[in-house]
Amino acid sequence: MSTARPSFKFRGGSFHALVVKPEIPIEGWLAEIDSLLARSPGFFAGKSLVVDVAGLDLTKQTFLDLLDELSRRHIRILGVEGAAASVLDGKVPSLMRGQSERCKVTAPPEETPPAPAVSLLLDTPVRSGQLIVHADGDVTVVGSVASGAEIVAAGSIHIYGTLRGRALAGAYGNPEARIFCRRLDAELMAIDGRYILADEIEPQFRKESIQAWLDGDELKFAAMN
Amino acid sequence: MAQVVVVTSGKGGVGKTTSTAALGAALASAGERVAVVDFDVGLRNLDLVMGAERRVVFDLVHVVQGTARLSQALIRDKRIETLFLLAASQTRDKDALSDEGVERVIQELRQSFDWIICDSPAGIERGASLAMRFADLAVVVANPEVSSVRDSDRIIGLLDSTTDKAKRGEQLEKSLLLTRYEPGRVDRGEMLGVDDVLEILCIPLLGIIPESKEVLHASNVGQPVTLNNPASAPARAYADAARRLQGEQIPLTVPSEKATLFSKLLGRRAAA
Amino acid sequence: MNLGSLFGRPRSASTAHHRLQVLLKHERGGRPDLIPVLREDILAAIGKHVTVDEDTVRLKIDRGEAVSLLEIEIEIPNEAKQKACA
Repeated sequence: MSTARPSFKFRGGSFHALVVKPEIPIEGWLAEIDSLLARSPGFFAGKSLVVDVAGLDLTKQTFLDLLDELSRRHIRILGVEGAAASVLDGKVPSLMRGQSERCKVTAPPEETPPAPAVSLLLDTPVRSGQLIVHADGDVTVVGSVASGAEIVAAGSIHIYGTLRGRALAGAYGNPEARIFCRRLDAELMAIDGRYILADEIEPQFRKESIQAWLDGDELKFAAMN
Repeated sequence: MAQVVVVTSGKGGVGKTTSTAALGAALASAGERVAVVDFDVGLRNLDLVMGAERRVVFDLVHVVQGTARLSQALIRDKRIETLFLLAASQTRDKDALSDEGVERVIQELRQSFDWIICDSPAGIERGASLAMRFADLAVVVANPEVSSVRDSDRIIGLLDSTTDKAKRGEQLEKSLLLTRYEPGRVDRGEMLGVDDVLEILCIPLLGIIPESKEVLHASNVGQPVTLNNPASAPARAYADAARRLQGEQIPLTVPSEKATLFSKLLGRRAAA
Repeated sequence: MNLGSLFGRPRSASTAHHRLQVLLKHERGGRPDLIPVLREDILAAIGKHVTVDEDTVRLKIDRGEAVSLLEIEIEIPNEAKQKACA
């Protein structure tokens, strides 16, 4: 009499991850991370990252050294993008399969129009400890964003209240995104990965109604009245 | 209809236990049947503040685990006959409480009491989440101080997402009890004012409890502050807060330095 | 100078001190489950002679400094079923 075997089930899942792309020279890039961690020690806390090494021409050893350096800074690496087969083995994080990978069979045809942007509207304050991630467009908050809260949006972020937490706009590669708030008291703001910390924001913009946008590699601010 | 109230804050030491005892005693003095329940398993305090520390036989863990009946664990207050205490265990840890067990106890309490006030421990771990899980309304306690306010904001986020009421898509009524308020320090800009705190937390204000030596005195002798010295400023503020919980519209007066000095001149009993 | 004593209000700190001494003596004593154990033993002893409804058993304790007072109330119905002799 055969006993029923529990079936091994698996399914596809798609997840959001932060992607970082090291720049040559790697030491300079690591120094920038150290500087960020010195000012914002909890920046990578709880986040898993994907490392994009495409075009970096790493050897297996330099790749392992890089992973080691990140691990020493308590930065968890979930996966790797753009790595040549020669650097991948069982011990390093696996290659991420997804949008970034060029895949001959399933690549969508060029003529497909982009998906329409969908806006997320929140009409209650965002509380400390809450994380809002919206990959499909803008986020609007009718209320304040508390210290210790974080909003990550593909598009712009509009806060009809005080921004006390963190706002990361254009987070999926949109440098045109902007951040608007009625009162600025943010811990961190970022557009398309370029970030600014609280103490780097010019004093004249603090506690004011502002908009922020990306000009090259720098975040620029203007008061709104 | 019984009301289950959670008294919570996030930050420790801001006045949850003091407030649970004070509000519980004020409600019971008005004739309501009140059970105050200590959820701080392993570090119990409510029994001390209520003055019942010598009389605890069975506690919440005993009832949840079936060692004792609820009626055998409830300790009746010696001063107010409609006020009962369900103490926390001093010797077990939080894993001794199961969700189903606690739900069963709360359901049983609903049969015999008008108010069940759950004194939450500090933090956001198991004790705190159990205390809030079955609540109908929440009293969020905060001091006018940045880390207390931030922690309370975190707690409000959890109240809005993890409680059974929130999961059913219903709005959990929350109100703020601002404790250890010192009008002089607010006036001199040393302490956050009421408006500052309300602007950040965005929940209705239940009451403002002024900082006072009376709280320490009451705890020293084992009496809720509303019973030990009912004419004192904190006792009157708690009594007003209790009446607001019952739905009475009582105008809120923000304590001012002038008022406390004047009442000090009038006589010690009324002084803050 | 503490005006409290002038107005005749007893110093509450000494009450607190006394309460803590009594309480901690018991908590350090290390027999926290004595009461449930006593209850079980007493119920078992009575149960040998009559059937008793556990729900009606009331236990009260007052832990004192030198002596603790334990009160047990057990309802024994007048038409209590007597146990057959072993």
